[in-house]
Amino acid sequence: MKVDAKEAGALPFVIAWLLMVGLVGLSVWTAFLPIGVWSPIIEFTVAAAQTATIFILFMRLKGPPSLKWLAAGTGFFWLLFLYGLSMTDYTTRSSWPS
Amino acid sequence: MPSAAATLKPEIQFATLDQQGETAQLGIWVFLATETLFFGALIFTYYIYRMSYPEQIAHAAKDAVLWCGSVNIGLLLTSSLTMVLAINAAAQGRRRELVFWLVATVALGVIFLGVKGYEYYLDYKDHVVPAANYVEKPGEGPAGEMFWVFYFVATGLHAIHLSTGIGLVLYMLWRVSRGEITPAYYAPLEVVGLYWSFVDVVWLFLYPSIYLVGRS
Repeated sequence: MKVDAKEAGALPFVIAWLLMVGLVGLSVWTAFLPIGVWSPIIEFTVAAAQTATIFILFMRLKGPPSLKWLAAGTGFFWLLFLYGLSMTDYTTRSSWPS
Repeated sequence: MPSAAATLKPEIQFATLDQQGETAQLGIWVFLATETLFFGALIFTYYIYRMSYPEQIAHAAKDAVLWCGSVNIGLLLTSSLTMVLAINAAAQGRRRELVFWLVATVALGVIFLGVKGYEYYLDYKDHVVPAANYVEKPGEGPAGEMFWVFYFVATGLHAIHLSTGIGLVLYMLWRVSRGEITPAYYAPLEVVGLYWSFVDVVWLFLYPSIYLVGRS
């Protein structure tokens, strides 16, 4: 299926949209299950899958200019530094999490 | 008098319209990288709170209006679809379809804000608005109020971003009416589409963080 704006039909995007809406249903369902820490893990996996779908298909990271991959990845790259350095503090606190 | 489309030429620093369009795309992606850091830091702060006070935050989050958040995630996912269909229509020269999908995108954004406004009204009636009428409920403790501070800051910032997006799509409609968005050059619409979808992505993470906590 073609996804380039010049020649794409609606079908691949409608299929992706249906999948993403279905995944929202999965998130809501798991939120009500007594599965402890697995609930947020599943919910964030769903959010990450939806994000990847939107980034690659709807925001057309697939396709020219290829340099945009670098720009798109930069935010997440620096976010890893922010999370990593912050967690070196929190995870070495004797009283955290309380 | 020649139409705007017929006289469209690249800005002086670009050799072709294609090059101008690719540069615009790269520019919005760099901007979106800064937005990733902005919202990423905000959500990280919330998860530090959540890990520090898991039971109190879960108690407070149960009062978030699940149906409002769920309707809104559906609206935003649908608006990302209508936006990409608008870009396809622009690239393929289907002007009436382009206008239809852009109007649909604006309508979905406005309905989102309407639902959000109603949700804020319900929150006010539930006495969960910090610094206005917050009343601590049993089991919440002080961390419960921190949840609601995050809720209003995060959803408020998201609403500001979405309102900006609605304004930008309306601006695109105006440019379409002037014949400035054509199959030869539709980069401004692509840039607005990228911004719009990013705002959608932010909600994908706010939704489980706010509405699905403490439900089981």
